[in-house]
Parts: sequence; C-alpha cells; structure tokens
Amino acid sequence: MIFDFLNYLINGALVGLLYALVAMGFVVIYRASKVFNMAQGELVVFGGFMVWWMIAQVGLPLSIGLPLAFAAAILFGLAIERIFFSRLAGESVFAMVMVTIGLLILIRGLILVLFGPAVRPFPIVFPLKPIIFGDILIPRSLLFGGLITIVVGFGLSWFFNRTRTGLRMTAVAEDHEVALSMGISVKRSIAFAWALGSALSTIGAVIYLSGKSLSFLASDIGLSALPVALLAGFESIAGVLLAGLIVGTIQGLVTAYVDPVVGGAVGSVFPFLIMLAILFIRPTGMFGWKIIQRV
Amino acid sequence: MRKRTLAGALAGVGLGLFAGGNAWAESTYNIASIADFTGPYADIMKDMVGARHAVVDWWNDQVGKGLGVRVVIKDYDGRYDAAQIASLWPGIKAELNPIVTLGTGGPDVAALQGRLPTDKVPMIMATAGYGFAWKPDPWIFNPRPTYGHEAGAFYEWFRNARKVTAPLKVAIISSEASPAYVDIHKGADKYAKDHPDKAEIVEIIYTEVQPTDLTTQVQRVLRKGAQLIHIQTNTAAVVATKRALQALGRTDVPIMMSSHNGLIASGKAIGGLKELEGDFEVYGMAVPTEGKTAPHDFEQMLVSKYKAQINWTVATVMGLNQTMVALRAIEATAKKNGADKVTGEAVRNTMLSTPITSEQTFGILPNLTYTNEAPFPLSGLTVNIATVKDGKYTIVADKAPVPTIGKW
Repeated sequence: MIFDFLNYLINGALVGLLYALVAMGFVVIYRASKVFNMAQGELVVFGGFMVWWMIAQVGLPLSIGLPLAFAAAILFGLAIERIFFSRLAGESVFAMVMVTIGLLILIRGLILVLFGPAVRPFPIVFPLKPIIFGDILIPRSLLFGGLITIVVGFGLSWFFNRTRTGLRMTAVAEDHEVALSMGISVKRSIAFAWALGSALSTIGAVIYLSGKSLSFLASDIGLSALPVALLAGFESIAGVLLAGLIVGTIQGLVTAYVDPVVGGAVGSVFPFLIMLAILFIRPTGMFGWKIIQRV
Repeated sequence: MRKRTLAGALAGVGLGLFAGGNAWAESTYNIASIADFTGPYADIMKDMVGARHAVVDWWNDQVGKGLGVRVVIKDYDGRYDAAQIASLWPGIKAELNPIVTLGTGGPDVAALQGRLPTDKVPMIMATAGYGFAWKPDPWIFNPRPTYGHEAGAFYEWFRNARKVTAPLKVAIISSEASPAYVDIHKGADKYAKDHPDKAEIVEIIYTEVQPTDLTTQVQRVLRKGAQLIHIQTNTAAVVATKRALQALGRTDVPIMMSSHNGLIASGKAIGGLKELEGDFEVYGMAVPTEGKTAPHDFEQMLVSKYKAQINWTVATVMGLNQTMVALRAIEATAKKNGADKVTGEAVRNTMLSTPITSEQTFGILPNLTYTNEAPFPLSGLTVNIATVKDGKYTIVADKAPVPTIGKW
C-alpha cells in the first residue's frame, strides 16, 4: 500500500517536471515578448517530428541526429519570430496572441503536409527498462527527463538573473519601450526567446515520446502544461519547477485514488481546478511579478 | 433491297434513341462521405475514403448501369469532431441533398443522430455500434455490433482458447476524450456484469489520447491479476501499454485491440509488427491478411480494374463494408420502387426490411438482418480474430459468435 503511494507520488512528480519543461517554453516566450504562445504544444510536435525525421527517417545516429534536430527546431523558432513577430513590434498583445492561434493551425497543417498524418514510431532515446527499487518502479525516460528539467530550470533561472543577455531579456520583459531607450535590442531578445522556447519544446518531445508513438496529438501536452505555467506565474522559471511538482503530484494521486472510485478521468481535470482556484486568489500566479504603477 | 436498308437504318436509329432515352432517364443520387482528413484518424483516411470511391465506381459500372441508377459520392472533412460535423451538416444537406451518408465514427453519430430522422437521410457506419445510439427506429446503421459485443465475443473465445475456467480478468485502458471511447468501456463493463461467470473487469484506467507513461498503471492491474488488457481507443494507448508491459518484462498478458487501432496500425506506430507478437485484434468484418479470400479478391479487382488507390488494410475493409451496405440498400430500393423513386426514407425502409447476405458483400461482412429495435443486427452476428504469430499477421478465429448483452 505504502509502495503504491510512493510509486504514484514519484511518477506524478516526474510527470509534473515534464509539464514544467514544456511550461518553461511558455514562460521564456512570455517574458521576452509578453505573448502567451497558444502554439507551444505544436512546437513540441514540430521538435518531435524533427527528431523522428533525423533519426528514424534519415537514419542518423542519436549523437548526430539529436543536435541536428535541435538546430532545426531553433531555426524554426527564429523563422517564426522573423516572419510573424518582428512585423508586429508595437502592436497590441491581443494581436500577437491571435497570431499564435494562427500559428497553431499553420504548424498543424505544415506537419500534415510535410510528414503526412500517419502515426510514427518515435526513437528510443532513453532505455525502456525502468529503475526498480523493491516495489518502487521509476521509468527511466521520466527520471532522466526530471533531472534534465531541474538542470535546465536552474540554468535558465541563473541565465535570466545573472548574465548580461538574460538581464537584457528581463528588461525587455518589463517594458519594451524602456528597454529600447536603454539601447537593448527588443527584436533580438524576442528572437532569442523563440529559439529557446523551440529548443525547450524539443527537449520536452524527446522525454515525452521516447520509445512511444508520434502524431500531432502529442500537442495535447501543451494544454497539460498550461496549468503549471499559470500556477507559477508567467515570469518565474524556478517557480515553474515547483508548480510542475505540485500539479504532477496531485494529478498522479487523484488519478490513482479518485479515478477508480468515481469512474472517470478526474485526474486530468484536477490541475485545471487548481489553476482556477489559484487565479481567483492570486491572479499573477504563485511567483508572477506584481506590477506597481505610480500615478 | 433499298426498302430493307432504309428499314434497317430506321430500326437502328430507333434502337439508338431507345438506348439514349434510357441513358437520359438514368437517375443520379448523391452519397455524402464524412471523413477525417485532419483529426486523429487522418492516417487511415486515404484507404477508407479510397475504398468508398472504388466501391461506388464498381457498383455504378456493374450494378447501377443495369438499374438506371448512378451514384455520386462527395467527401467532407468532419475532423472526428462532433461540433465540426454538426456545423457542416446543413451545408451538406443544401449542397448535395444526399440519400445516404457514410459516417466515420462516434462524433458523427453524436452530432447527427437527432437530425437525420427529420432530414430523412440514413447514415451507414463502418465502425461497431455505440450504446448511446442503441435506440429503436434507427436512422444510423452499423454493420457490426457494439464494441462491447465484439469485446465480449473475444473474451469468450480467449477464455476457451486459454482454457480459463474462472472469470477472465480484464483490465481496460480507456479515455474520456471521446464519447465513443467512454461507450466502449461501458459496453465491456456491461458484458462483465451480464456474464459474471465469464469476465471480471479488474480496473478501467483513464489516460490522455497520447499517454505520458503507463508503467505504474499497468503494474497495478497486473498485480490485480489481469489476464488480458483491452484497448479499443487508439494506437498511442496501445504503444504506451506495450512499452509498459515490455518494461515490466511481461509477455504473458496480451492486448486486445479493435479495427481502428488494430495490429497493423499499432505495429507501424511502435516500429514493427513483431513487437505485438501474441496480441490480438477483433471485429465483425473481414481481416485483411495476405491470404487468398473472397474479400481480398474483391479488393484486388477494385485495384486492377477500377484503379483504386488503396492498400489491403483494416481501413480499406471499413470503407468497403459501409459503402457496400449503402449500395446494396440503394440497389434493393431501386428494384422495389423503381430507379427514379429512391429517397433517403425509402433506403432506410429497405435497410429494415431486406437482409443483406454475406455473399452480397463478398464475405466482407456476415449476413445482416436489421430490425426496428437497434441500429445493428441483434442476432446472427459474428467476429473475426487475428493475431501476430511468428511475426506474421494471422487469422486465429473466424465467425466467432457474438454474445448477448443488455442495453447500457
């Protein structure tokens, strides 16, 4: 009984860290451009298809195929910024969000045209055999994914708070006009954010899909990561890690203990209930910036 | 001599006019083909829709011409989305005025079951039936019983094959992403309740349509003694479950799939059919193995003679089965009422009064006798079961009887 509980707890936390990784994509793009990217799940799918194409289709080994897939995803992120968002500088946030909805539809169509609708076998990046301690069982893809997420999360947090480029991006996140007046290139910061968001989505795809199947349905993970980003607040990278752990753990426990009792998928709804509750109490999320305006 | 030549010429012209007159009198009817080109089943649509068109071409050429009836088929992308289908339907009705609609899955049923009786258009499905549509006075017809019936037939066959004397312990991996998925596990649950001596559902696990990892859940149901894992949702769930079973080192618990997520489709999604060694698929229509069978011969004829752009897959069999049922019903209606009096309502009445034999569908389906009590035949149905044996797609049982289940 206690081992079951520990299994659900650990696996829930690891799934939560995967959500946190995808949610970091939301946060990075939001911090730089104030754009809530509705197409974050589609970036995961695009990154996934790049990995599949390089390794399963072209036949490259993991050591070459993975870096090339990341390079392709980064270029894709830069292209998105150059084609759509560089032209929208100074436009309303609403217009930019509408563009991300268009982007969602465009990427889905692009994937269908380029790769077709067939479900593809995703390469096995992490060993399939789980780590077993007595009755406790930990899937390796989620364990390695969790460790990668923590490293990436703290790395990005350090980057945004300690490095010159990161601080420039933080300034851009606060106010585009003020950043411009200080000689900071807002366009370059936004381009960097899209490239970073795209790379994070590709890491997410590798962890999420390793050894499983790939189709555009994988974009649903963007929706699962949404409560994590909102719970953390859209500005805090480290906060996303904590929010991911909270959402994942609760979801795992509810799925294990409540779903069989009520006969329904309460576990998948529960994170959204937490998100709504937090938004009622604290609209900026747990770690979101509080904007104080002096009049 | 000259008179005879003139008379011959006049007779020739007369015959020509008569034949031409018949051609002019040919009645044309439309079939609306609802497909999913951009939704979760987009990957199988090429074969399914290709099969629909090929059967219509064959029927127009071989049957319709003699009856003075021509059928035109047009595709619409319903995206496997009830809202999309509901919004498309008024346009389809206005543009095409179809006498029959071909459906793809549960969302079509959910979206249109309330409208079709008013619009007097029957819909023929390729899938198994649904409990939520199991009502009298049907306008939607399934050539197969419900997924619950098909699963029940498999449970009974599997229990006998494995010589299990106690109730078979079954775990179901399902999802709440679609009303059809929910209906599927409710049907299997009802079978187990109606036949407690034959099956016990140890747990229903709910997952996303693309599950993250199912190792913990699969370990839990194995600990509860599951002897079979039942998945009639999608290929992603099959792949995730198989990976979990592989991770746990269990090869003794097979997965049972359906037509839309069967062995070939799931095999492609996991990287090879051999990964699904010993797993099963079950459905109430022909299994598209490579062997020489009447359904396969018919498909080969469509490819060679009518240039059908199809492969011999489950999706092709689905497209063939529903179009064949629709066309046989139109055929019987035209014979009974006359070529110019074929309406949606008349086709529906024919469905309820005229059985379709297995020979009429080239063995793709069993004999079908619809009644006013349900959208699918309530008796005489059978299922076919296939597996992967030594890496080969093989039929292990044909015409396994379908058990009775009460409504749910």
